[in-house]
Amino acid sequence: MMRKFLQTAAMLAVLAGLYGLSLYKHAERDELRRAPVALTPGCAEKFERYGLAADKIYRSPYVLARAGAARELRPYSADDVRAIQRGCNIVDDTQGELASRSVERWNAARFIRGNQLSCDHCHQGIGDKQDANGNRLKGSLSLGASWVMADMYDRFTGLLLPFELRQMQCFINSSNGYKPNISDDLVRDITAYSRFLSAALDLRIGNHYEEQGIDEIAASDTLKQGDDYVRGEALFKQKCASCHGPQAQGHVVAGRVVAPAIAGPDAWNMQSRNYFYYVSTILPGFICRNMPLGQENTLTNQQCRDVAYFISNLPRPAGDKQGPLMALRQQLLMNAIPPLVRITSSSRAPFKDEEQ
Amino acid sequence: MKRFHRSARAAALAALIGGFVVWTHAGSGLPAFRAEVQPEPGWERFRRDYGVSYFGDDGQFVRAVQNGYNLVFRTDQYAPRFTRPAAGGAPKACAGCHSVEDLAYSFVNSDRYDARFGRRMSFEDYVRHCYAASLEGAVPTIYDPAVRDIRLLARAVAHHLQLGEGARR
Repeated sequence: MMRKFLQTAAMLAVLAGLYGLSLYKHAERDELRRAPVALTPGCAEKFERYGLAADKIYRSPYVLARAGAARELRPYSADDVRAIQRGCNIVDDTQGELASRSVERWNAARFIRGNQLSCDHCHQGIGDKQDANGNRLKGSLSLGASWVMADMYDRFTGLLLPFELRQMQCFINSSNGYKPNISDDLVRDITAYSRFLSAALDLRIGNHYEEQGIDEIAASDTLKQGDDYVRGEALFKQKCASCHGPQAQGHVVAGRVVAPAIAGPDAWNMQSRNYFYYVSTILPGFICRNMPLGQENTLTNQQCRDVAYFISNLPRPAGDKQGPLMALRQQLLMNAIPPLVRITSSSRAPFKDEEQ
Repeated sequence: MKRFHRSARAAALAALIGGFVVWTHAGSGLPAFRAEVQPEPGWERFRRDYGVSYFGDDGQFVRAVQNGYNLVFRTDQYAPRFTRPAAGGAPKACAGCHSVEDLAYSFVNSDRYDARFGRRMSFEDYVRHCYAASLEGAVPTIYDPAVRDIRLLARAVAHHLQLGEGARR
């Protein structure tokens, strides 16, 4: 009798302890939400330009400067401003390289495998890429434009894909990582930032804007010379290897990513839409419009497809739905191929461009 | 005898698995599993007035908007689990309190901190709160079509009104 009583008491004590712990963690998280946000230089510049401030009617300086008039929009509270700021920090510096201690970026980086990938690598310009004159750029994966066009039918998932689930896919496949909860602060902060961008740029719900998504390049947009691995390899060595490394495994200096891995264990996986064999139009479109940095739009459609084809033939992690055997195979390839390539390329005559 | 029992058990198990496979296969054709939406009175007019055909004459998005329409105007029929009738037995519906334009404005002003709740509230959070507090029903999950399709209806109306983030009435 006494034993049973003690067992029950112990069980209740454990449950009460767990409840107390959850209350403590909730209070801690609330405290963090109220803490001031130290902005990255890029975010500070962006918010200065877009006039983000708490508790006053929002009127976008960007729209005012370009159109001569801007609508009055609902004011942001101090809590909203902090959420938007945290979202910007996450997109700009997902791995937390620019902060000695950053809670929101620690929370973001734990959903990514490896220490290279950052949202800003694909969503350049902190999700809002513009030229020197402030023009938004075609196919630049704008987060604001993506928010206004969210909820459309997605043929890859078979879902009417909300913005939050699309973010989850980015973490799972494009970052080869893990799925955050739909209500996680990470997802909600990125959503808050994206929504603010759409307000700052005066984007309207359901309208298509050129900067949304990728300017996809199909084979029919080329002279149909066929996607060529050899041409792709030569171009990669000429245009990409100096930043991304000879085997596309990224370039990290003193713990900071100069250019991210686009193959190997730190890159996107085989179920990311960047993977040429999964969707053959997206990576070429990204390369043409966004690469090489500073020389965007200089490659032809065929060259973009060749490079994308070459990159996608380099070993990379298996996707989350491809099962353990495929994962094992890819792990073996990722470990075996780089040293083999190093050996064979050192005994092979270099390309003309490599000699220079 | 023992052997017979074992064979009978194995046969029953196989029949059970087979039955389940047949049921899931055939079940996909039953109306309950089809993504078709019952046209309710007023839908065609709503579709015309709010330019829903911009998103196509038919399709997943349009069907979801149509289901959203049914949910908003006939909540008791289309979300019975999440709606309880009023004291006199009169049916309750979202449209009793909100116009579709209210929902569109609410949608473009959501995901903000709400002092009444002491936290950031998404549009889905508000819909779930309505089901629980105003319609006195159970609370659907954030993924439930009873929540999602109201958001999509609000999005379609917001497009028609050309609203953007933070638009004020």
